[in-house]
Amino acid sequence: MINYTKFTLDNGLTVIHHPDDSTQLCVLNILYKVGSRDENASKTGFAHLFEHLMFGGSANIPEFDTELQNAGGESNAFTSNDITNYYITLPANNIETGFWLESDRMLSLNFSQKSLDIQKKVVIEEFKERYLNQPYGDVWLKILPLAYHVHPYNWPTIGKEISHIEAFELPEVKDFFQNYYAPNNAILVVAGNINLQTCKDLCNKWFLPIEKKETKKADYLQEPVQKEARSEHIYNDVPLDLLVKAYHMGGRMDVDYYACDLLSDILGSGKSARLFNSLVKERRLFSELDTYISGDTDPGLFLVEGKLMKGIDFAVAEAAILEELEIIKSTKVNKDELIKVLNKTETNVHFGDVSVLNRAMKLAFAEFLGDIGLVHSEVEQYFKVTPELMQSVAKKMFVETNCSTLYYHAKK
Amino acid sequence: MNLQRNIVPKFHQINALHFPDFQTNKIKEGINFYSINAGTEPVIRLDLVFNAGLNQQLKRAESSFTASMLSEGTTTKTALELADALDYYGAYFQTRGSSDDATASLYCLEKHLKKCLPLFIEAIVDSIFPEKELDIIKRNSIQKLIVNEKKNSYLLRKNFYQNLLGINHPYAFFSEKVDIENISVSDLKLFYQNNYLEGLKYLLLSGKFSNETLYFIQESISASILQNRLTNSLIPAITSSFGNHFIEKKDAVQCAIRIGKLSILRSHPDFRKLQLLNLIFGGYFGSRLMKNIREEKGLTYGIYAALETYKNASVWYIDTEMNNKNRQSGVDEIYKEMKLLGTQLIGKEELEIAKNFLLGSFLRSLDGPFSLADRFKILIDNNLSKEYYTEFVKIINQISSEELLEIANIYLKQDKLVEVIVGKS
Repeated sequence: MINYTKFTLDNGLTVIHHPDDSTQLCVLNILYKVGSRDENASKTGFAHLFEHLMFGGSANIPEFDTELQNAGGESNAFTSNDITNYYITLPANNIETGFWLESDRMLSLNFSQKSLDIQKKVVIEEFKERYLNQPYGDVWLKILPLAYHVHPYNWPTIGKEISHIEAFELPEVKDFFQNYYAPNNAILVVAGNINLQTCKDLCNKWFLPIEKKETKKADYLQEPVQKEARSEHIYNDVPLDLLVKAYHMGGRMDVDYYACDLLSDILGSGKSARLFNSLVKERRLFSELDTYISGDTDPGLFLVEGKLMKGIDFAVAEAAILEELEIIKSTKVNKDELIKVLNKTETNVHFGDVSVLNRAMKLAFAEFLGDIGLVHSEVEQYFKVTPELMQSVAKKMFVETNCSTLYYHAKK
Repeated sequence: MNLQRNIVPKFHQINALHFPDFQTNKIKEGINFYSINAGTEPVIRLDLVFNAGLNQQLKRAESSFTASMLSEGTTTKTALELADALDYYGAYFQTRGSSDDATASLYCLEKHLKKCLPLFIEAIVDSIFPEKELDIIKRNSIQKLIVNEKKNSYLLRKNFYQNLLGINHPYAFFSEKVDIENISVSDLKLFYQNNYLEGLKYLLLSGKFSNETLYFIQESISASILQNRLTNSLIPAITSSFGNHFIEKKDAVQCAIRIGKLSILRSHPDFRKLQLLNLIFGGYFGSRLMKNIREEKGLTYGIYAALETYKNASVWYIDTEMNNKNRQSGVDEIYKEMKLLGTQLIGKEELEIAKNFLLGSFLRSLDGPFSLADRFKILIDNNLSKEYYTEFVKIINQISSEELLEIANIYLKQDKLVEVIVGKS
């Protein structure tokens, strides 16, 4: 059970306090409601580059990391399609240093040209390391534009291309900060070995003086229903053929979300999963085969991704996947199979909650989704899913006109 | 009152830390049962640690294959039936061979343990190694290997260890295609008999559990046929090929670099001091390598230095992937920084920050039952006392720049180095 107290400062900052006296640590997790979906299609990768700049010094603190490390703390951040999330863990008695650092960079960055120049280079190396210099590293760069034609999920958080990152200028950094990095556009979670009163006092001392800003949310279009099967063939210097099928599904708060997640477990997660047993073990068409959901806030993707056994044709492999999807559309999953994935889900939730940092992130994200109660009701939501619902969701989703297929060929 | 944002909040040094108690019970001759009860969630992890790692391997690839085949069927259950039964209770069964041992782990909610444990034990003591399942795993492993061989980071690690430790050293073992093809059911059964059924070293339970759970595990394992008869054979590491090695990768947009040498074991009195020095050099975001090569020059997304310890060898190295074009200047900077460690005293402020960071990060590594169990495993495997960690705080707090200079001149000198680069020439 995750206990929490939620309150809002006068400047609009939402604060969630989660006490845990079994740990010697404290966590500050701050979520800004801005992600790559808020970017302009001709200037992608900015939210993520900006995340790097947040470590480049703020109004009163030239070196963020040095001060944090000196207090025994560690920090990192990630950018997704929907949010940018920063976290700090510190020995509990040094938590005020975290408040000092986080509040100062919310107040103002120092907007250094040097930091921008260096971090552009670092992010470009990150782009190469993760997306270009790995076998299959560019799958995400290829599948997203196929699946999304108008919605900004069209590009990955790193950006569409390196030239976008190269082109960013300092005034854009200032504008972006001014618009999105506001107390009223953020959620702060304070978790660990700290009591509520101390938490409130520190919030009032460090965050309350920061002024509210006028945050203008980016306008973007929702993806219209896909009406035709889409596909693309690419040829690259990889050793094995890879097949990726991406079906549109609902958003994170959609009633179908939990059913989709359970479908992906039944089909593709673990050694008792259907696709693994029929297509990897019995028919030996694939050496690896996974199903997973993208988990985005706006309508996301349900993915089936597998590496073909040498000598197997794409047509045969794909037909076999479609046969399995046909079965889950035409026959209700039986009760035991459903109980199995529900029990797995319950295990995953509890194991995830072992770490106080994970609990802090989970609270922030649930609040971002608009229902902090999800941290308690999540497991229940899964247990509400029935075989009938799963079947109707599968029938609606697993339709080829709703699918983008990537044939990633090993160059001979 | 005006808030003074340019004044650093008061800092509290870490002088002591709490390493919770663990319990030791004896299962049978030579097999201890260690347990750590901690955390807030009703979850448990049970590790069975076997003498079945690379260090005990007599035939190539048998350690990893035996580990992956453990869950592939018993006399009464097929692989699928076994997986279905464990999955039904939401449990995870994981086996993995590593350098000095192999571990079979059961992860589950405490409320399902009574159902899961018998299945877990059955998989381990009654494994039958079906030919058909082995064939599937072999083919899939070959596919994985082909993909790995395309990865710069894989080629780098393989070449580095083989040059540094000697191609025949167990820790430098990397499966080749022919090794996988040659593995047979009878090899695995022999390894299984000697290294699993008669090779259980100890049990390690972590999480939040009742005494009843503890006894149930104790009784169940005591009643099983598992024994500990095997003793370790240790093979010394001898660097076969000092100097520079270049592996050509035609289309590389980045190159991967690893530079390192043999180092001291964890039980060595200087080890903890070397850990601090390594941290300053390349062990955290504020390290010299990160500051210089990433934050000043933007040549890489990441660069780090690490001390990797095994039971009878220890390796120190620097690892990075960087822009191919500026490779030489990057490599020069690495050697320049290495040299500085042995010629100049570390400044007071830099030393303080590193000490504080190291102790803070040590505190983080003690958070939660599973991290505690991992820390505790290090003590067991290296025959270290519980005081090892409390002493750590004292040693780090007391160390001086002069001592670190000495340490650098003994352990991080630029001799007997192995340098491997994978990239485009």
